[in-house]
Amino acid sequence: MTPVIQFTNVSKRYNLGLTRTSLPSILSQWVKPLLGKQGNATDKKIYWALQDVSFAMEKGQSLALVGPNGAGKSTILKLLAKITNPTTGKVEVNGQLSALIELGAGFHPDLTGRENIYLNGTILGLTYKDIHKKYDEIVAFSEIEEFIDTPVKRYSSGMAVRLGFAVASCIEPQILLVDEVLAVGDASFRQKCIERIKSLLRNGTSLIFVSHDMGLVRALCERALYIEHGRLQASGTSAEIIDMYNRVLEKKRVEKMNRHDGGMDEVNAGIEVTRVDILDVEGNPVHEARTNQPLVIRVKYTAYKDFGKSNAIILIHRSDGLLCCNIRTHLDHFPMSIEKGEGEYFLKIDPSQLFGSMYYVESWIMNADDSDGIAFGASEWFEVRNSIQGHEANMAVFEPNRAWGQNRISQNERAVARPTA
Amino acid sequence: MLTQTNNFHKTRDLVWAWTVRTLRGRYQQSALGWLWAVVQPVATVAIFAVVFTRIVPVDTGGVPYILFSYSAVIPWTLLASSVTDMATSLVHNMNLVGKIYFPREALPVAALLARLVDFLISFILLVILMLFYRIPFSPQGLLFLPLILLIQMALILGLGIGSAALNVFYRDVDPLLKLVIQVWFYASPILYPLSLVPEQWKWLYFLNPMSGIIASYRDVLVYSRVPGDYLWSAAGISALIFIAGVWFFKRVEYQFADIV
Repeated sequence: MTPVIQFTNVSKRYNLGLTRTSLPSILSQWVKPLLGKQGNATDKKIYWALQDVSFAMEKGQSLALVGPNGAGKSTILKLLAKITNPTTGKVEVNGQLSALIELGAGFHPDLTGRENIYLNGTILGLTYKDIHKKYDEIVAFSEIEEFIDTPVKRYSSGMAVRLGFAVASCIEPQILLVDEVLAVGDASFRQKCIERIKSLLRNGTSLIFVSHDMGLVRALCERALYIEHGRLQASGTSAEIIDMYNRVLEKKRVEKMNRHDGGMDEVNAGIEVTRVDILDVEGNPVHEARTNQPLVIRVKYTAYKDFGKSNAIILIHRSDGLLCCNIRTHLDHFPMSIEKGEGEYFLKIDPSQLFGSMYYVESWIMNADDSDGIAFGASEWFEVRNSIQGHEANMAVFEPNRAWGQNRISQNERAVARPTA
Repeated sequence: MLTQTNNFHKTRDLVWAWTVRTLRGRYQQSALGWLWAVVQPVATVAIFAVVFTRIVPVDTGGVPYILFSYSAVIPWTLLASSVTDMATSLVHNMNLVGKIYFPREALPVAALLARLVDFLISFILLVILMLFYRIPFSPQGLLFLPLILLIQMALILGLGIGSAALNVFYRDVDPLLKLVIQVWFYASPILYPLSLVPEQWKWLYFLNPMSGIIASYRDVLVYSRVPGDYLWSAAGISALIFIAGVWFFKRVEYQFADIV
């Protein structure tokens, strides 16, 4: 079976900026080669909206495009809808395609709802005959029967959007593109739109869906593509991709936040923490820790004199500001001693049990009676992933090692427990 | 074959719907409504009539000046208004062009059709004027009229569609076009008769296709005679402009959505 949609190594380049259109720059473009000068490559701001994207979709599938703003999702839809052509590569679409990208496209405020149905319908590729056949269905769906002969300028924005969706979705296409249009309208109408899309799916329509609403993606799509920086980063089931998307979002948010790792200017005590690393049990740096695996925190220091008996504290901070643990050599009765030179100390937590989120570790070196800090350092942010998918970040504090159990209480005992009336 | 017919129907219906939208948008909420289609040429003619009958009289060949000038002003207004409307038709609807696929030529063509409706309305007044001045309706006139209109439409389409496409890339086209039309007005036989053009410059004068087209309108409507050979040179030049405009439009239309 041939796929309904096939992208083969598709790239799309945009020339940003309007440099070409001003007279001096046009002249300089013509004159430069005459003078034998090479055009400067940075003159043209080139932007690759998509790079080397390949995927295929079978008939009847529903596919979500997930990714941050500016990732290239809308460019994919534009290529599918033939609004624009790829710079390189091949886009194949087999089947009649309809796009719910701009609801109420071409609506004129002075025209009535009825007139705008015909106008909007023809823009979406329907003939008057087609629209006439669907007219009653469109009006019924939009729930604005009594205002159908009122100019659209008197409509509330919700009414206009309802009318737009009603026209666009009455086309029963083989391929439906939906771009973020369900974000408008009230909850009940939104539900109606979702039902409408689901019923199209049941009738064999293939769906490409773009949304930042992961709830909708989960409800409507079996599979998803994760797109970022114009590249296809991952493809998988919706659950997998949503999980990935949420983690990337959290990571982005957190990386902009400050860690508490300022130097200790006033504490020039002859010792400094040079590194704080997060390692696995083999001593390799960990980029993505698992909640059910052990973690080793290693702190490296350089001492410029002998300190003798010392203490250390390790603090684990979560991205939402929660202090997750505060572990101290003093309380754990771990004897620590610092002599002149370089050294390191470790803390192994097994398993980490940290709930999926972003964390960083802060460590203090304390004086002999644990009353004053003498050196301080912090790790980079690191990520912990839950052992199973489906949780949202920061939803809970820890994920313990666990076992479920169930005992069946006999019918007789329950009958006894519940008094009869 | 079936899909081609269907595509034709789709485009036809879209052009029609967009024409209606343009007309409704233009005349809704205005007291005079479609009468504005007549007001513009009538006002122009009224001014000309005062200047060129009282102050600097021109030789119209025995026909009333009002008829002489109105018969030229309405085809001229059709050209001037539709070409400027067409030139901005894509740019003014870039949000649509950038988001939805539909035959792009529908927008400029609808802009032309909406102005053609104005032309037909103002043509009714011409017929009334002809009856008033008792100008005989000639059978040749009726025969040639659709052909002259067809030639003019080819000229407008070529010019308008080409400008619409070019205006997407360079917004200078719109103001430049308005300037050109202003000059062009005086280079066409609207205020004055052909007889005022020196014989040795006629070849140059008729390189302007509107010279032949307007002269021909006058021939068949006012003078009840067969148009001169200038109609054929106008037809040739208009055909070339039509081909060039459509060719350019088709060559660059795939880039429209990328330049917003």
